[in-house]
Amino acid sequence: MIKFYGNRKKFFIFSMTMFAIGIIAFFINGISLDIQFKGGAILKYSFVNELDKEKAANIATTTLGRNVNVQEITDIAKKTKQIVLNVAGNEGISAQDQEKLDIALKEEFKDADLKLSESNMVEPFIGQRFFTNGLLAILLASLLITIYVWWSFKRIASLSLGVMALIALLHDVAMVLVVFILFKIPLNDSFIAVVLTILGYSMNDTVVIYDRIRENARIMKPNTPVDELVDVSINQSLTRSINTALATFVSILIAYIFAFIYNIESIKTFALPMLVGIATGAYSSICVAGPLWVVWQKRKQNQKQLLKQGK
Amino acid sequence: MRFGKQWFFIVAIIVVGLTYLAFNGFDFVSFGGTGKISGAQDMRYGIDIRGGVEAYFQSADENVIPTTQQLEQARTIIETRLDSKNITDREVTIDKQRGVILVRFPWKSDELEYNPQTAIKELGETAKLTFVEGIDETTGEGGKIVIEGKHIVDASHQFNQDQTTGQMNYYVKLVLSEEGGKLFEEATGRLIDKKIAIKMDETIISNPTVKTKISGTEAVIDGMESIESAKALADKIKAGALPFALVSKSNSQISPTLGKNALNVMVKAGATAFILVCLFMLFYYRLPGFVSIFALTMQVVCQLLALSIPQYSLTLPGIAGIILSIGMGVDANIIIAERIKEELRSGKTLGGAIDVGFHRAFSAVRDGNITVMIVAVLLMMFGSGSMLSFGYTLLVGVILNFVTGVTASRIMIKSLSNFIPLRNTFLYGNRRAAQ
Repeated sequence: MIKFYGNRKKFFIFSMTMFAIGIIAFFINGISLDIQFKGGAILKYSFVNELDKEKAANIATTTLGRNVNVQEITDIAKKTKQIVLNVAGNEGISAQDQEKLDIALKEEFKDADLKLSESNMVEPFIGQRFFTNGLLAILLASLLITIYVWWSFKRIASLSLGVMALIALLHDVAMVLVVFILFKIPLNDSFIAVVLTILGYSMNDTVVIYDRIRENARIMKPNTPVDELVDVSINQSLTRSINTALATFVSILIAYIFAFIYNIESIKTFALPMLVGIATGAYSSICVAGPLWVVWQKRKQNQKQLLKQGK
Repeated sequence: MRFGKQWFFIVAIIVVGLTYLAFNGFDFVSFGGTGKISGAQDMRYGIDIRGGVEAYFQSADENVIPTTQQLEQARTIIETRLDSKNITDREVTIDKQRGVILVRFPWKSDELEYNPQTAIKELGETAKLTFVEGIDETTGEGGKIVIEGKHIVDASHQFNQDQTTGQMNYYVKLVLSEEGGKLFEEATGRLIDKKIAIKMDETIISNPTVKTKISGTEAVIDGMESIESAKALADKIKAGALPFALVSKSNSQISPTLGKNALNVMVKAGATAFILVCLFMLFYYRLPGFVSIFALTMQVVCQLLALSIPQYSLTLPGIAGIILSIGMGVDANIIIAERIKEELRSGKTLGGAIDVGFHRAFSAVRDGNITVMIVAVLLMMFGSGSMLSFGYTLLVGVILNFVTGVTASRIMIKSLSNFIPLRNTFLYGNRRAAQ
């Protein structure tokens, strides 16, 4: 049997180290919002042969009257080439101006067979609404899930389990955020979706362990120490926790590998943080949520004893 | 409840049938009925897969915040233009609070020229409403403009009842400006029994005949079929009098080829993930693992049907949602299989272990699935664009999981445990020595 409570300090130190790395990375990389949320403009054109990036940037800058930075990207699997036009500022571009730009570029690079493959323009006020909606969803999800767990587990220890589960959730959300910071992925709607999914997933994991605690609390002797109760419960559900995490992790890993090879941006920025979320979701349920609850319960017992002694 | 030997085959046949249905659909017409069940080949994909346009239109003049009524007018203009471009598969929604209109339409597969900027630009242009005399009936071109949008003050739909016949008469009432009234009086005086066409841009929206000379600032177009058609025409005429141009500075476009490739890749990824998870379940959990393959197949094909039957758009994140629920879906089977194994090792008989296993595992599966359902619903409520589809596939996956992962799996395991060769507890994860 693995002593999760006995090893709690190692787990807490591990988590703290990860957060510290995240905080350091935050000061180095900062955190940025995707144009989906902050507004801005980006266009992607596929092309053949050669294309002078500098020239393309100059044409775009003069046509739009805004600074444009051009990057070239290559698709590993299909060997197609694309230029990405990043327009400075956080305003969108009107369709009229887009049309002008399209004509100017195609005029200049006749041999390149330029084709617009993707474009994204967002006005700041629209992006902001998506962002607030997303944050609202995360907040509501945390609240509702905690209430549900509290209600469902009121027989063993009403509020404290809900609170500990919530701490485990915050732990996972923070970890997902660390991934976005470390890999310099701007926060986009994938972030919202991943955080929400991980909230559900991690809570699912935690709930299965709590369920076991709930059951064992009934079966085991009433004077069983709380740390033993929790350790036994975690160990009993350990294979399940690991196997489920593995099945989910592998599924998403495959999606990530395919998206990486074929350069599907929307899935890449979605799958990578999701992978980390699944790993940390399983980890926090096993190594953080349970032991933390024991710490809480023990403190409460100590306080009661102190009160008794005081009398 | 007891499930005899035949039950496994019943469930297996249902799974095979659903799989066939999900991939091929079912056409009632060939069996003398009407309608059909759409399968995966008729799946409706989102814009990120089909390619297409998503554009927010706002007032070109940033100081003007359009009223709800003006937004409705602008919507009518956009709808009419989409009609004239023959784009019927579209969504046009109004956000009253922000004064914006969202237009979403996929790129049509028969379209060769991919030129979305022009399409967006044209949709937002100030609508040109004209009343034209002497139009060429066959081409809809030519003619002389009588009055224009700026001459229209208001248009509304009205109706009255004929006192003698009792028949309802639906009509559109126009209020013209002073100048418009004069022009119209002159024209209607000349054109009795001739037609004046009403055009929006280049589309003829109505082609009434002048009955009498109309003086003053009020005119009537009667003979409408229903109150709805009178309202539609009034809306279109009013839309032509919209005082500002629309511009789209927030829009995204995806080319059809890009999306098509992404779809193929994600389908392959999904199939690979599915096969790997099935192999893992089979080798690790043996008989319960074998059963979970049927359960998982049922879950995935029902998910596909839940998308294709109501024609709910499937996006790339939506496919990721299906892949995610493949992984999460076996959770119920894992919890149950682990529980059966545990009960067997504690010395229970096979039948007892299966019953207790399912019974004890249920609360964990229920609580776990409900938490995921909560987030999936919130994703659908607050999510934007392609993430809606992710929320939907996740939600459907979790709900189906109760049926497939718990109920169907239980029936199959109970049924299979009636076969003597399958009563070896090794198949349920017990140690060999314990036989």
